[in-house]
Amino acid sequence: MSSHTYAKKPVYPLLGVAASVSVLVLGLLFAKSLAVFYFFGAAWLLFFCMGYRRACIAVLTAALLLGAVFAAATYLISRNVPAALAAVARITAVCLAVTPGLGMPPSYLVRSLSALKLPRVLVLGMLITFSFVPLLRKEAAQVREAMKTRGAGSIFNPSIFYRALLIPLIVRIASISDTLALSVETRGFTLDNTPYTVYKPVSPGAKDIIFTAGFAVCIVLLVLHL
Amino acid sequence: MINAIELDNVTFSYGHDQPYVLKNAGMTVCYGEIALLSGTSGEGKSTVISLVTGIAPNIVPGVFSGLVAVDGQNVSGKRVSEICRNVGVVLQNAEEQIIHRTVEEEIAFGCENMAYPVWEIEKRIDYACKLMSLSPSALASKLSGGQKQRLMTACALGTGQRILVLDEPLANLDRQGALLLMRTLKELAGEGYAVLIAEHRLDVIMPYVDSVWSIKDGRIIKARDKDSYLRENSLEIPDGLGLPKKRDMAIRANDVTYCAGNRAIIDGLNLELFRGERLLMLGENGSGKTTLMRLLAGLNKPQPGNIEQFIIPSKRAYIPADRRWFKEVGVVYQNPSYQLFMPTVEEEVIYGAKSRAYAEEILKRFDIIHLRSRHPHSLSQGQKRRVSIAAVAASQPQILFLDEPTVGQDYAGLKSLTETLNQLHAETGGAVVTITHDIRCAAALCDRSVILKSGKIHESGGKELARRYLSGEV
Repeated sequence: MSSHTYAKKPVYPLLGVAASVSVLVLGLLFAKSLAVFYFFGAAWLLFFCMGYRRACIAVLTAALLLGAVFAAATYLISRNVPAALAAVARITAVCLAVTPGLGMPPSYLVRSLSALKLPRVLVLGMLITFSFVPLLRKEAAQVREAMKTRGAGSIFNPSIFYRALLIPLIVRIASISDTLALSVETRGFTLDNTPYTVYKPVSPGAKDIIFTAGFAVCIVLLVLHL
Repeated sequence: MINAIELDNVTFSYGHDQPYVLKNAGMTVCYGEIALLSGTSGEGKSTVISLVTGIAPNIVPGVFSGLVAVDGQNVSGKRVSEICRNVGVVLQNAEEQIIHRTVEEEIAFGCENMAYPVWEIEKRIDYACKLMSLSPSALASKLSGGQKQRLMTACALGTGQRILVLDEPLANLDRQGALLLMRTLKELAGEGYAVLIAEHRLDVIMPYVDSVWSIKDGRIIKARDKDSYLRENSLEIPDGLGLPKKRDMAIRANDVTYCAGNRAIIDGLNLELFRGERLLMLGENGSGKTTLMRLLAGLNKPQPGNIEQFIIPSKRAYIPADRRWFKEVGVVYQNPSYQLFMPTVEEEVIYGAKSRAYAEEILKRFDIIHLRSRHPHSLSQGQKRRVSIAAVAASQPQILFLDEPTVGQDYAGLKSLTETLNQLHAETGGAVVTITHDIRCAAALCDRSVILKSGKIHESGGKELARRYLSGEV
């Protein structure tokens, strides 16, 4: 997940999740019908208009690339054009289903879940998990670089290579999680029923009604076409 | 009158078979004062802070006896989150504590936990950002090390407890940022806040501190004459070396630019580094010092511009950044944890050293011989930093890059570290490039200094420039 694909004002997170699931399920169910491509197009346009521009472009690129690979592979195996198109539909469904996730800042999802009064430990855990993948990537890159600077980056010396890679990485991750846990607690976070506030709670608005209506129309048209 | 913080007859060790960190120790901090907790690296300053906040023995286990009281209440048996409703805490390693995406969200987190109404959270965010010179909408991931430190301080100030406990809050802060923080703390103390601060940069905090406590051999002693104590521990360290003789080129940066996103961190910069010279890079947090050091060390590639090297024979003059290059070029990171991987301090130094005998000498020179059998990651931050510098210096690089090497060093440690680095420099005749905000050692670590501003060299000069810059005259 990268912050440059985030939408400025994404749709209500639970609606985003519902749209994501719908695209995936319908895309897989109706993969053999050509009408599903119109549905994908309409859903993509809807996401685009709702502010998910960067996520839409990223998804389109991925869908085109993966679609081409899957279509070619399926055609080579089956020599069947409809089967190749169905493969494209399935991979497109997966790619398109990712769009709301790509465009939604994790804090936005967390705030909406907080507003729904979900247990705070779950919500905070989710937030930390979301930030953990990029953090791990950054830490691994930093350790690899540090290995180079100390001349420990050669795989021809495996014992040193693994020591220099794993020990700092494990120590860093352990240190980050320890410090994070301490920091969260010293900032007053508790797991009991102590009252708390949700700053900028996220709740559905007019934009979400338009999105829901638009998405419902897409689904109805897909089903009617069949 | 109730004391803000009180330790009475406190004895603490990290285990039954571990040595005592504190033994029958006591101290008090009153409302309306700034108390400094001083002591050599690894002596127990962070332990005192852990005891006051309940981190020890609640989360970090240990053997404890005595009384620790905060706002007149015994903290024994209370959870950290409960204690910290009365105590705002700034821990070490700011960058490891950030959870949220923006500055605003990060500051709001503590306020949410305190159940402040939304309008008050907004007010507190504005207040904390103004105090710490931060933009609420700034992305936390894009902040420099010093700005992250300021952010964590802003988080503590935002929650508004009347007792503040800060563990090395000036680490990585430039002089302006450090003064900004100290002025703020002084104002808060004037309003009746109690501030306990563990810090090594005594030169910066000297005018702001009301009382000084030092830890030695498990005891916490109040300095009778705080002014002379602070002066003794903040004198400028003398440079024992003369001007460099060799003037062969080592590295030349030509019109170098480096961007992160749309922002140019280094902007069309030209710089020459000569063998045998010590170059000091100065500048505010976020001015591009670390980025420039990374470019010169070959860890980043300029975009556009080029950097020529005259250290190792190569078909092209540009930095190859391979094994041969890093044999001749040593880089010491801001965070030493990345570079330490051997099971003991001794093996860590031997790994890079040209011979076992030289490693032994380095252990002695860097005064880490007593730590030789310890695991490097079990050491305090200051000790780890010494070990990482020793391990890199042991390979006798022709160019040594040091990014904030003095953070976490007590005065005696800083003095001996500076002297050792200078002795090694004189023996090897290599170039040393240092980034530091510490006025006590800055002049002793340079022949030439450059001030970076907005990715460009704003001014260059010698020791005098370093002194003037770090004392706020430039």
